[in-house]
Amino acid sequence: MAEIKVKNLHKEFGVGDDRVVALENVNLDIEGHVFVSIVGPSGCGKSTLLNILSGIETASSGTVDITQDSHDANPGYVFQAARLLPWRSVMENLMFVQKERDDEARARCQRYLDMVQLGDKGDKFPGELSGGMQQRVGIARAFSIEPDVLFMDEPFSHLDAITARSLRRELHEMWKQTKKTVLFVTHDVGEAVELSNRILVFAKGGKLEDDITVDLPFPRDPSDDAVAVAKAQVLRKFEELDLLAT
Amino acid sequence: MRRAHARRTATTIREVSDIVVTTDERPEGRQRSAEEERLLAQRRRDTRNKWLWRIAGYVVVLLIWEYGFQAIMELIAGRSLNDALLPGPIRILQTIPDIWEDGEMLSNFGATLTRIGIGFGVSFIAGALIGLFTQNKWLDSFFRDLVVVSLTSPGLVWALTGLIIWGFKPLGWIFAIFMTTFALVSVNISEGVRALPKDLLDMAKAFGVSSIDRQRHIVIPHLAPYIFTAVRFGFSIAWKVTVLTEVFSSNKGIGFQMRVTSQVFQLDEFFTWVLSFFVFALFLEKVVLQRAEDRYFRWRQEVAT
Amino acid sequence: MTAAAMDSRPRVPFYRRPVAARILMPIAVIVVWYLVYWTLGSRIFEPPHRVFEFMWNELTLETRLRNGKGPSNLYQMFGLTVVRLFAGFAIAMVVGTVIGLAMGLSKSVNAFFHDWVMAVLAMPALVWALFLGLVFGPQGNQAPIYACILAGIPFVIINVREGVRNTPKELFDMARAFGVPQNKITRNVLLPSLMPFLFAAVRYAFSVGWKGLVIAEVFASDSGMGWAIKFWYDAHQTRGVIGYALFFVAFALALEKLLFEPLAEKAFKWRPRVGDVGVVEEQFLLDQTVEGALEVEQFTGGESDG
Ligand SMILES: Nc1ncnc2c1ncn2[C@@H]1O[C@H](COP(=O)(O)OP(=O)(O)O)[C@@H](O)[C@H]1O
Ligand SMILES: [Mg+2]
Repeated sequence: MAEIKVKNLHKEFGVGDDRVVALENVNLDIEGHVFVSIVGPSGCGKSTLLNILSGIETASSGTVDITQDSHDANPGYVFQAARLLPWRSVMENLMFVQKERDDEARARCQRYLDMVQLGDKGDKFPGELSGGMQQRVGIARAFSIEPDVLFMDEPFSHLDAITARSLRRELHEMWKQTKKTVLFVTHDVGEAVELSNRILVFAKGGKLEDDITVDLPFPRDPSDDAVAVAKAQVLRKFEELDLLAT
Repeated sequence: MRRAHARRTATTIREVSDIVVTTDERPEGRQRSAEEERLLAQRRRDTRNKWLWRIAGYVVVLLIWEYGFQAIMELIAGRSLNDALLPGPIRILQTIPDIWEDGEMLSNFGATLTRIGIGFGVSFIAGALIGLFTQNKWLDSFFRDLVVVSLTSPGLVWALTGLIIWGFKPLGWIFAIFMTTFALVSVNISEGVRALPKDLLDMAKAFGVSSIDRQRHIVIPHLAPYIFTAVRFGFSIAWKVTVLTEVFSSNKGIGFQMRVTSQVFQLDEFFTWVLSFFVFALFLEKVVLQRAEDRYFRWRQEVAT
Repeated sequence: MTAAAMDSRPRVPFYRRPVAARILMPIAVIVVWYLVYWTLGSRIFEPPHRVFEFMWNELTLETRLRNGKGPSNLYQMFGLTVVRLFAGFAIAMVVGTVIGLAMGLSKSVNAFFHDWVMAVLAMPALVWALFLGLVFGPQGNQAPIYACILAGIPFVIINVREGVRNTPKELFDMARAFGVPQNKITRNVLLPSLMPFLFAAVRYAFSVGWKGLVIAEVFASDSGMGWAIKFWYDAHQTRGVIGYALFFVAFALALEKLLFEPLAEKAFKWRPRVGDVGVVEEQFLLDQTVEGALEVEQFTGGESDG
């Protein structure tokens, strides 16, 4: 079981008038097979948090500790833009992040490509795929290393509503099957309610304002009454926290 | 359960009280946070480093040029060389007052610049017109091969061709400058026109903005960067080809002076002519064009995200 | 039936098709040439058919065989120039890539070299030609090859440096987030992202190096294509000058069509084709990577032409 512990995390950029506080004194404890959504207005430090957790950026101060089942495991990351290597085929893109370039890895990559319904697109270059397909490749890549922890940064925000919806469903299935710890950044409250056990609410200035537990059975249909009510409750929380003004 | 990713542990653990809480309206004279101090120190170090290395570059190159030039060139050429062929920076600088006092500097400069001005002026106008023409598919095909030929052939052949047909009459060097620079102008203008922001023009039309105002506020600001690029590149090529035509046949101008001084082995004066053109080019670049651009393109600065 | 099918297609008259325009250009050039010839009434200027005749004689080695007036033969001169070009180009590529990489990776190295690279870039090839001619004399290959290197190397340096600076940060971050080892990142991210810049470097080093080379052959050599055109110029033979000028143009076009375009095609297979982009635009689009780079360096740049 994976555990993510964040203590007194602080991150700022720039000097003087350019100074931006992206995260302020964030404390977090996430444990087990949960799906955690992070919501908040743009610029509140969501991406910065994931970047620090995944080691892309370093914190100004504070500590981050990720404990995983297997020693050499690496978290998976799905980015807002797919971030595929444009000069490598889809399959090569998945192989790029594998520890070993053996047949086993290749079979695993193929399995996850199948899972996102792109099993026959392995030889294509990313430029030959649509935006939705590219994002699915990005998801398959993150899953293909079979990580204990998975970071996702607004993975569906560039997609049209219909594609996003079917991908959400696929993602939920994959999460259910593989039972990972997922940190999912979104600015879509509906999406957060539909997918997660827990919703972290961030405010401008990188403050963690609220930690909401969503205790509803899966699968959740957005048109379902209980889900709609939960969404309304979260939005009301936003209002209380005065987040909607920004 | 094993621990992993120790490497991801952030490097500094500090007291939370170190961190200055910021609000949207920051108080004047707010104390800098530790992170800001670190960033500032880093920046200062970078700037100092950059200047130190830059100065080191000048010192090393100039010293080698002054004291090691002869030895290096003799090693490469494999024979001893006349001292006059390899003037050091000091000797070059010493010739400047002589040339300046003769009044030669200004008159030769003037001659070359006049030629560049006329030749490039003509080429620019013609090139811009061709750039506009090529919006039409048929005319685009018509000029395509001429443009490719102009972009790929050496300026030398146009200089010699122009000179042998017209001699060193204006048409001779105008032909040479035209053939080397018009394509650059026309390609840039053509790209600019092709990329005209149709959405903005439509918006302006929808608001009933007059045609003149549309040109003034949309078309010209849009085309300006393309024009700047064309002038920049066109000029740098025009001056090289002008000087080349002057070498072959002329009795005035920088190219002529380069030929004369090199023929009589006065390489110190030769390099003085080169140097003076550098200074002029630098002035044009850093003062004239840069200023104009800075003024014109202030809107291009993007807000950091 | 077939006739009806053909009629249903909108028939554009031939003269309105772009192909016709393309054919028309050389014809127009020749017509203007004749007009200039007649109006100028110059004794030394010659009409197209005489120049073409000269070119034909050069190609078939007729000139030399008949009266021995030609400098030597076209193929020898041409071969010599090409050998020098490749030698100079190869050296410029290797040395330029090393310096460019160092400048892209280290701010200190960049500060050290930057102004001097710009100075070499702004120097007309003519200056190298006159200077090297005095130092090395007209015999041998040294002066032309050094001129070729000096003309081409700043373009290699600047392009490689810009390539290193413009590597896609978001892809490196991605690779780091997935814990991909450095050598794999180098092979799969760094090198491919450098390719367009290296390609632009090759292209510029070749075409600018060539332009510098022929000028050096004019002033600092007693052989090669540049020397040949100068020979005819000094002999006041218009047919020789224009004939060789056309050989140069043909060589430039051949280089473009037979070398760079197929190379670009191969190197950028992964790039999605955007519609039907014409030759010139494509060439320009490719060049923009460099031109973008050069724009930063400003006008001291430009091609080391003339
Ligand atoms: N590399 C950076 N340099 C300067 N400022 C940055 C950088 N990355 C993020 N920021 C700033 O930090 C704040 C939080 O950014 P981010 O985490 O991307 O927000 P979001 O919640 O929209 O993902 C923003 O104000 C942003 O401008
Ligand atoms: Mg973000």
